[in-house]
Amino acid sequence: MLFNSIDFVIFYIIVTILYFAVPHKLKWIILLAASCYFYMAFVPVYILILGFTIVVDYFAGILIEAEHVPRRRKLLLAASLITNVGILVVFKYFNFLNLNVDILLHKFNYHNPIPYLTILLPIGLSFHTFQAMSYTIEVYRGNQKAERHFGIYSLYVMFYPQLVAGPIERPQNILPQLHTRHSFDYDLMQSGLKMMLWGFFKKLVIADRLSIFVNSVYNNPDMHNGTTIVIASFFFAIQIYCDFSGYTDIAIGCARTMGFDLMKNFDRPYFASNIQDFWRRWHISLSTWFRDYVYIPLGGSKVSGGRRYLNVFIVFLLSGIWHGANYTYIIWGVLHGLYSVVYILIKPYLRKTPENKFAAALMRFGNIVFTISLVTFAWIFFRANSVKDAFTLIHNLKSFGAMPFIGDGVSNFAQSVLAIVLLFILEYKIEYFPGKFNFFSSPNIMLRWGTLVFTILWIIIFGVFNGSQFIYFQF
Amino acid sequence: MKNKLVVRFFVRLAGFSVILIAADRLVGFGLKKAYFNQRVGQFSQTTYAIDSTFQDVMIFGSSRAVRHYSPSIISKYTGLSCYDSGRDGLMIPYSAAMEEISLSRHIPKVIILDITPRELGIDKSKYEKLDILLPYCDEHQQFIKYIKEVSPFETYKLFSKTYPYNSSAFILAHNIFFAKSAEKDDNGYLPLTGAMTKPEMEDYSKRMNIRALRTRKKNEVADIKAINYFKRFLENAAREKITTLVIISPTILNNAFYLDNQTLERGLIEKISREYPNVIFLDYSTDPRFNYHPEKFDDVFHLNKLGSEEYSAIIGQRIKAKLNTGRQQLTNTSKGIY
Repeated sequence: MLFNSIDFVIFYIIVTILYFAVPHKLKWIILLAASCYFYMAFVPVYILILGFTIVVDYFAGILIEAEHVPRRRKLLLAASLITNVGILVVFKYFNFLNLNVDILLHKFNYHNPIPYLTILLPIGLSFHTFQAMSYTIEVYRGNQKAERHFGIYSLYVMFYPQLVAGPIERPQNILPQLHTRHSFDYDLMQSGLKMMLWGFFKKLVIADRLSIFVNSVYNNPDMHNGTTIVIASFFFAIQIYCDFSGYTDIAIGCARTMGFDLMKNFDRPYFASNIQDFWRRWHISLSTWFRDYVYIPLGGSKVSGGRRYLNVFIVFLLSGIWHGANYTYIIWGVLHGLYSVVYILIKPYLRKTPENKFAAALMRFGNIVFTISLVTFAWIFFRANSVKDAFTLIHNLKSFGAMPFIGDGVSNFAQSVLAIVLLFILEYKIEYFPGKFNFFSSPNIMLRWGTLVFTILWIIIFGVFNGSQFIYFQF
Repeated sequence: MKNKLVVRFFVRLAGFSVILIAADRLVGFGLKKAYFNQRVGQFSQTTYAIDSTFQDVMIFGSSRAVRHYSPSIISKYTGLSCYDSGRDGLMIPYSAAMEEISLSRHIPKVIILDITPRELGIDKSKYEKLDILLPYCDEHQQFIKYIKEVSPFETYKLFSKTYPYNSSAFILAHNIFFAKSAEKDDNGYLPLTGAMTKPEMEDYSKRMNIRALRTRKKNEVADIKAINYFKRFLENAAREKITTLVIISPTILNNAFYLDNQTLERGLIEKISREYPNVIFLDYSTDPRFNYHPEKFDDVFHLNKLGSEEYSAIIGQRIKAKLNTGRQQLTNTSKGIY
């Protein structure tokens, strides 16, 4: 079920009303049933995969906690992790790996006897697998008590607002909330609905509008000149941000209306002044997951220089692989790994921020533009349908300066530009004047409601209502 | 306390909904006024095509219909009045909708359907774009079944009076405030004024050949629903015994449909057209008068003014010949000439 569908609006209203109507002890049943229904709206049978990992991790958590022999604890954790990663490998990476075996054997004139699997990737598999893994790791580390209530544990993995595209939560944040009594809270309801509205704005008015132009260019990579490709790639950078952060805002808002507090996933990433800063602001729940469960166990930054660079590189390589079984994602991860390593290397030699305010602002602006350029270049690989397409696009960049193609009509292009301008104005306000011009929560009801009505009408007038899927659902 | 908060929330929600609905009605009313008061641009052409056409020759199709047929030239050769009700970016479902609404009000003598093989291929955008009929749904209930192709919930969205004008604000503003600079149509015809160069054409040809090498193995699959719309279009014309010309207009390359993997769809258009005795199928995509003549094309898909005027003269002569040597003589009845 897509957030940007009428089905979801009806589903959300029914579930929220039922959630508040039933007594506390029954609330988890409502949420679990709703989450199952939500997930089964995509491919019903895949609930069995989810059910299998839930059962494995539930018992793994209890057994790890009860076990005092370190080796056995480690074995239990390994069993849980192998099950989760194994499912990921089978459903997400098997055909990719098989294809590579195929190519390799073909080179030596051998036939690959392993057949390809004809299965669809379970939606949001990487998200809920990572969330499940963080539970067993935290129990193993002693940071989290094993959850005894099977229903609550199932809900930890399946909580519908963040089930298919995160934020990838930690058990310490969500499990206690699932036990807490949540009664109707007027302020949380209001604030959650406003958050959802902002998420819908980002998705329908910005992301889906930009996708029209982006798709027309990226689906015909050999037909466009450099100027068009630069514009399309920048549009995609904004599209993917608004698509994913729009989804996250809807998820956070939706959970908030029921009294849950999900973690922040984005912090205006295109205001980052360097690549490290970008990763502190982009997909925070995944970045911190890799930091806590991969980077730090590898030694983090408390190792020799060379090893540290390798650790950073490994994290980004894994991040690329996490996104999908395609070399485009791997190259995207490698690029970010290289950016980060180079940044760490040159950081000590970079100029300090000047004392002159104007010069400092100019320097920050330059850094932001440079960071966006690097990130946008990497997005070419992320969005391209194949590595070959990506290189065709990069090759065609040489004709930068030629008259750009503006798509189906000036109207769509103009609406795309307007959407981007609006986004940057609003994000600029939040970044630099967080306490000012908060019309959404103004104490003046006329101004508050006026802004809300204006936003809704803006969505109706400028939104794209073709029910397109969220990009990150495929991961 | 809790119940009080719930009541307060619902009271405020109700109040907010009333204001939102009122604002939606108000903005919708303003947009409707603006929309139907346009005098230039493709919105006003569509409105005219739906509500006011009376011409003897009616042209349907996508941007290639709008840009390739000059009604004045066709009228000059045939002595019949002519209107071009094609529209940029729209395809066979739209042509079927426009034909249905036109025939319910007026029976032309000749219908021209400009079609490209791509229109019968799998591409859901041709249905999504039917939402441009939303502003007309209040007055023309026949469009509702086409609107449902956009999405099953589309008709519910019509509760909003602003929604029918979704995504059209920029064009509306342009057509109202900059009417003088807007494209002026000649009975629906909007010629393109640019001209391609030989290197541009060669570059396009090279790219298409590279793409064809990569995608040649792809299975061609036709869209059954689009085929049904095509058949419905032809059946409606056949029912009224209207001479119908199904035309694939000129392309810059003589193997464009082969390179674009559309040979199956091209064959289907011809095969289906031949099932109807009132239909003449004409394929100008391999016409050497246009192939490899970049000076007659504005871009790789569209003829420019020079090309379209030459082409319109050819079509005008073709209709004239048909009218003179048709299987039935032209009658003066409103039921057409076939």
